[in-house]
Amino acid sequence: MEAADPDVPPAKGEGLEIPGEQTGPCPTETDGDEPDSVPEELCAIPAEPDSVVEEAGAEPDSVPEDLGTIPAEPPAPQSNGPLSTADGKVDAREELSDKELSDSASTDNVLEDSSEFGPPAVAVGGSGGPAGEEVVVPAVTTHRDEDVTAESWRKRRKHVFVLSEAGKPIYSRYGNEEALSSTMGVMMALVSFIQSGDNAIRSICSDDRKLVFVQQGPLVLVSVSRTLQSEQQLRQELLYVYYQIISMLTQVSITRIFERKKNYDLRRLLAGSEKILDRLLNLVESDPSFLLNAVRCLPLPASLRDSLGALLQKAITSNLVFSILVARSQLVTTVQEKTVIEDCRLEPTDLHLLLNLISATSAFQAGEIWTPICLPRFNPDGYFYAYISYLDAECTVCLILLSTDKESFYSVSDCKKRIEEGMRTQGYLQALSAGGSSQSPSYSVGLVGVPDLRHFMYKPLDIPENYRQLPQFTSPELESPYHSERERHRLFDLYHYLHSRIHSGCRPLRLIYHVAAKETLLAWVTSKFELYTCFSPLVTKAGAINVLTKLLRWIKKEEDRLFIRYPPRYSPTPNPGKSVKGGRSDGAENGFFAGL
Amino acid sequence: MGRMKKPDGKVVLLGDMNVGKTSLLHRYMERRFQDTVSTVGGAFYLKQWGPYNVSIWDTAGREQFHGLGSMYCRGAAAVILTYDVNNVQSLIELEDRFLALTDSASTDCIFAIVGNKVDLTDECALLPETEDESRSKKPITSCITAKAQKQVHVEDAVALYKRILKYKLLDEKDAPAAEKMCFETSAKTGYKVDYLFETVFDMVVPLILQHRAEGLPQTVDISIYKPAKQAKSGCCA
Repeated sequence: MEAADPDVPPAKGEGLEIPGEQTGPCPTETDGDEPDSVPEELCAIPAEPDSVVEEAGAEPDSVPEDLGTIPAEPPAPQSNGPLSTADGKVDAREELSDKELSDSASTDNVLEDSSEFGPPAVAVGGSGGPAGEEVVVPAVTTHRDEDVTAESWRKRRKHVFVLSEAGKPIYSRYGNEEALSSTMGVMMALVSFIQSGDNAIRSICSDDRKLVFVQQGPLVLVSVSRTLQSEQQLRQELLYVYYQIISMLTQVSITRIFERKKNYDLRRLLAGSEKILDRLLNLVESDPSFLLNAVRCLPLPASLRDSLGALLQKAITSNLVFSILVARSQLVTTVQEKTVIEDCRLEPTDLHLLLNLISATSAFQAGEIWTPICLPRFNPDGYFYAYISYLDAECTVCLILLSTDKESFYSVSDCKKRIEEGMRTQGYLQALSAGGSSQSPSYSVGLVGVPDLRHFMYKPLDIPENYRQLPQFTSPELESPYHSERERHRLFDLYHYLHSRIHSGCRPLRLIYHVAAKETLLAWVTSKFELYTCFSPLVTKAGAINVLTKLLRWIKKEEDRLFIRYPPRYSPTPNPGKSVKGGRSDGAENGFFAGL
Repeated sequence: MGRMKKPDGKVVLLGDMNVGKTSLLHRYMERRFQDTVSTVGGAFYLKQWGPYNVSIWDTAGREQFHGLGSMYCRGAAAVILTYDVNNVQSLIELEDRFLALTDSASTDCIFAIVGNKVDLTDECALLPETEDESRSKKPITSCITAKAQKQVHVEDAVALYKRILKYKLLDEKDAPAAEKMCFETSAKTGYKVDYLFETVFDMVVPLILQHRAEGLPQTVDISIYKPAKQAKSGCCA
């Protein structure tokens, strides 16, 4: 079958059907599609014997899933612990929700015009489906002003809604929440109907979109998506939204507010934060940091990174817990207070949310920001006080110092002055800003030196536990075919798909070789790393494997530049002389690539 | 560590969200108008004013950060209460929400009330000639857009100012005159922005001197005092 002859596939080997993308060329591809995709998915890299086994195991599953993309999604019910009874079948669930719509509409007058939402979201498949291409949405001045009754609004790739348990709108990615209050009422009705049966609604799948529900305390988050992301990935995104809200308000205060007043309008507290959530949702779709839950470091010579770390280590004051240096939105280095590092570490999620919040906030170089911020994964109920300051006029190098003391602004600001001075005298600042052209923070995939390779994401997994290391990954800039937003979305759709297959709850895979319409992708996970690669469509399987070998060799060679390997930390007392070194001393191979 | 510049006096910008606090400061410090997004917490700026370092806190107007207001205000020598002349509610909020935050300010704190965004009102016509040296390239564009009827007038601000004095148990005779302390500005065109900040800074200087004489710390600590050379060297550094 095709597997034996991987040179041919690109033309017809649509392993994956993207409903939104299949505009002209191959609307009937589904048929020819399934035989192709099975063997393709199957083909294992001979080098990795156990992966063959895994793959074989995956076979029966991969067939239906590949074919039917969205409607099939059979694993959903399995992963659906809480959903009991007749919900096993997709149709059953849809019927249920349909019925639910009308039922509750008659009983609860919040839902009077629920019809507005009913047809499009739940039963929409037919109407929206065929024409469901990525319609160019007319540019509206701001998303808030968007007409929620317009077709273009319904055609959005992904909607995200946040509402309170009382059904009060809190946030909508597109359109004014106020205008959506009846829609949100319907959502809440769905949630509470299932709840009344001692159950929890998790998702609804229709032909061309997924609705995913997440309830966190008094907040309900809903995603209505036409992307190829798995339910699990959409759920993760909603959690990011939830955590971003928590990062501004803390979990306790939200709980407390709603305990006191069930129908409190949380927008009062979130007013002005919509941009932060908007930006988050844009990032989540195209920034692998969120998908991989890892941090991307600015590529730097290890010596420079160490010196910067040492500088941060020295400039401390009591109650300072984290010092984070960021350049062009990528991590340069981070230093943690020693006792903190012992029981916890900075979570990638917290760092992503913090950076998102900073980028979505106005600042100019002269100012020093002092603001309470919660790191929800670290402690959802407590505030840190974040000191944020840019070190250069272009606002590319940003220093973040987190303290537990509300009153310590001036002493923390003094730390910044010392760090800034150190960086200036040593010329580090220039080194950081000169580390690449201002537009491309990362590196070009061309550096790897293999022409067929278009893009990759590499996340080392074998970081020794004693380093309490931040999970990291490395990835080059997106280049030529992926410049437009549309192409970027397409690529990330594919990455999301591969990621969901690799991390499938019921049948995880170790290796996928996937021939898509315009590129070929290979995802491979071992105990040492997780790797996603994108090749030009004409690559052969042998060629791809060859490229992988070269890529892994290149990463191994560059690992000191690409990753923070010895995270420094400081001692609890502000005594620079005694601060503990990052552990370079034990000199042991930290095992990033021990297996290669 | 003693080498750092310690602020001599503190000025705090307070007011509802979207009234243009950050834009005002941006106009004054960076000489330009730029679309800003919502501030988080507070942002600290240091302004050299003659021999003094005046610290300016630009605070977030969002209710989310309300609890922090009194922290930013602690020991403040001047508070600039800002509202949007096109939004009555923003003036009301000053009294309802923000005035109480100034309890932690210095007892002799100066209050200024500023109505921003006058460029959006029908009185805009008067702007270009009064501030023709405004560095904004084309104030023309701002005048083309349909003008709204101004919602809040200086008299309303003056009335608020008098109520604030009452709240602070200050005699009108001892405090700066209301007419002097109520401003109307446009961060977008630059109209009267410099005038606002310069007036406030000039009034803060005597307070700094007085505090020094009394040895009162204004902020956290004042480790070094530069001897006050000349009382006032006029303008910015």
